[in-house]
Amino acid sequence: MKNIFLTLSILWSTILLANPVETGHAKASLITNLQSSSQESFYVGVRLQMQDGWHTYWENPGDSGSPFSATWTTDAGVIIENVSWPTPQTIPYPPLMTYGYEGDIVFPFQVFRSLDTELTEISLDFDFLICADICVPEQAKLTLDLTSASSSDLLDQAIDNLPTKLVKTKSTISGDELKVVFQSPKEFSTAYIFPREGNLFAYTPNQEITPIDENTFEITLPLYQDGVESFSGIISLDGQGFQFEEQIASAGGMSLWQAILFALIGGLILNLMPCVFPVISLKVLSFVSMGGDDHTKIRNHALAFVGGVMSTFLSIATALMIIRSTGSMIGWGYQLQSPVVVGILTLIMLGIGMILLTNINVAAGLTNIGSSVQNRNDYSGSFFTGVLAVVVASPCTAPFMGAAVGYALLQPSFATLPIFLSLGLGFAGPYLILAIKPKWISSLPKPGQWMETLKQFFAFPMIATALWLMWVFMVQTSGDALIQLLILGLSLGLAIWMIASFEGRWKWVGLILTFIASIQIFNNLPNNANEITQSADADSWNLSIESDLQANNQAYLINFTAAWCITCQTNEKAALARTSVQDYLAEQNIKYIKADWTNRNEDIAIGLAKYERSGIPLYIFWKPGMRNSKILPAVLTEDLLIRSMQ
Amino acid sequence: MKSILSSFIFLFFMVHALSAEIILQNPKVNEKAPLFSAVNSYGEKINLADFQGQPVILEWSNHECPYVARHYEEENMQSVQKMAQEEGFVWLTIISSTPGEQGHVNPSQANDLTHSRNAYPSHVLMDESGEIGMQYGAKTTPHMYMIDDKGLLRYKGAIDDIGMGMKFFSASFANATNYVATQLSDVKLNNKLAIDNTVAYGCSVKYNYD
Repeated sequence: MKNIFLTLSILWSTILLANPVETGHAKASLITNLQSSSQESFYVGVRLQMQDGWHTYWENPGDSGSPFSATWTTDAGVIIENVSWPTPQTIPYPPLMTYGYEGDIVFPFQVFRSLDTELTEISLDFDFLICADICVPEQAKLTLDLTSASSSDLLDQAIDNLPTKLVKTKSTISGDELKVVFQSPKEFSTAYIFPREGNLFAYTPNQEITPIDENTFEITLPLYQDGVESFSGIISLDGQGFQFEEQIASAGGMSLWQAILFALIGGLILNLMPCVFPVISLKVLSFVSMGGDDHTKIRNHALAFVGGVMSTFLSIATALMIIRSTGSMIGWGYQLQSPVVVGILTLIMLGIGMILLTNINVAAGLTNIGSSVQNRNDYSGSFFTGVLAVVVASPCTAPFMGAAVGYALLQPSFATLPIFLSLGLGFAGPYLILAIKPKWISSLPKPGQWMETLKQFFAFPMIATALWLMWVFMVQTSGDALIQLLILGLSLGLAIWMIASFEGRWKWVGLILTFIASIQIFNNLPNNANEITQSADADSWNLSIESDLQANNQAYLINFTAAWCITCQTNEKAALARTSVQDYLAEQNIKYIKADWTNRNEDIAIGLAKYERSGIPLYIFWKPGMRNSKILPAVLTEDLLIRSMQ
Repeated sequence: MKSILSSFIFLFFMVHALSAEIILQNPKVNEKAPLFSAVNSYGEKINLADFQGQPVILEWSNHECPYVARHYEEENMQSVQKMAQEEGFVWLTIISSTPGEQGHVNPSQANDLTHSRNAYPSHVLMDESGEIGMQYGAKTTPHMYMIDDKGLLRYKGAIDDIGMGMKFFSASFANATNYVATQLSDVKLNNKLAIDNTVAYGCSVKYNYD
């Protein structure tokens, strides 16, 4: 009797474990692209050849239907990832709409294994719903012997066709519609959005596409339900799929006018940020010393300063738009990701510091060199102070500004420009008012010796800024490079002194010396900035980390930071690095993850874009039970941080 | 000439009126449930408005759909029907399959199904045109709706939390949360429900779409 059972079960398993298997309305088989037994990562694929007129479903099946379920049996040491869904197609069934696949389709699964495990066979219980007018649940028990399987071109093709590229989208809710704006990565004739979230949209109505500019388009989806917060899926352009994922601002998104207003306020506040304040104060002092002067002169100086500010913001906006048109993801503070820019800024800050402290009149000295530019009342000085103020402001993000700039960078060009101009207008606002009402200058304190003292004092915040930039520079490059930068600083000091103190050809010698030293040192800078080593107490970030951790029910705190981001550094010292916070994280089993943006990193830029940000700091927190991760305040204290995680 | 023109205009509006018909409506929970009238399996006319003062449950069904079949084979649907009737609910099983499609039955077949499956519907409504289904935005079989005694829609969606996916065919009903059975008393108290809108799962409703 026992023997009969044994024979039966062997017979049974040979029948069931065949490959391929006829399931009723389809033929299912397991294929792989494994080429050698020394591969740590490869793919296996489930190939489903469905009869004509039958289909199966995508992960969001639409109005009805069901995605398949796959249960793997493997040896220990072999990990099979979730399926990488191919781009689905619409399968209309009026008045219903479903999303899925017809004909011959391959579902790829990525496999990881540790090399000390032997490759044997893997088996799969594949349960799927297959439908024509009616639906039939069918199943296949499949086994693949990895020691003898040959590599399948069909699977490689399917992997090549997977929707892996991201497109940027920007969605806003208006009434009961979700308007999705996206930048098309290619030309297309038809586009369709497959939303991953179920039950949020009506799937049946036609998706109307409106072109906004050359490669920006808008698709309107009818909302079924309010309270859409995160939105992801696949945009299919002529059947080629692109992933998208974004958080939708709960306040119904920001309108262009709101962004312009935020930019204006942000620009105004930017005046008070630590990296700008000293430079701005100088300008204020120079206005104070003009207190008794002719109003036209004050007005012209103020206007020249405003002009400098505005034209610099305009150049930054243009540069950002040009870089963006090449398809790169960028953000505010981006310019500081280049050690060359940081080096130059360091020297500028050092130079300003030295000039303030020693009272050397470089401008006068330089003017004497080129005698052609005499008698111009030095309005260009005011203009360049404006330029300088924006340049030194670049590492700073003021409140309101982050949201506005984030919005600007995701918008088509016609919206980017007004936001940056508004930012400039806010920044230059006080001086613009001065230009309109030069009389008001007399309400400032009377000029006197105090101004000289204050000016000298301002050398110290400048040098402090320089020190900070030196540290950023060192993190980006190396200690050796920093020493070279400092030597350059020294020769710069020497040159300043020579220009101011000597007459005739010595001035030229000073200039040439500085020039040669700069070329020498910037030539020697490494082209690519160094890899940043992660501090031991934080895990490193990757683009899919949030969904991975959420899938594992693991609470997390993500810190988007960079050495050049001064607010980030302050938060680090004031909150994140404190023992109470570290203890709380350990106690509550919250994973602490750092996304370091000190050097250029496309993935982090995409990660920020998901939160509609283009600048940092950004802190993201999630714990099991929360539907969506939340954005923590940009300025943190110990208490605030712990409270917002409770 | 004028009459030709006006008949064209009439035709144009007719076509529009007809094509507008096949759009699924989306009734909102905690608002008035759409009123309808239909003929039951005994040929009697049934109005939703007649049940004012009694809570009502709508169940979209198609006996050949594997999802519906499992709910009935394991007596899961019948036990919820019984529970609801004991609580004073009117249970309307609605069949929106169009003639020739899966799940379509004539009135006597419908009554046979009720008897053979030991089901407890108050009425089985014949909705061949799919009109009521589209009015309620019924997408799948089963698809459940709960209406309180004041005529407000209180629940729409799945019957339980097993949900979409092939796991349905191996999941146990005993371990699942039945959204209808567990919220009967709240509907009777005219309360807003904790869970009032879920994704219905199952086969698509076999509407007439040709």
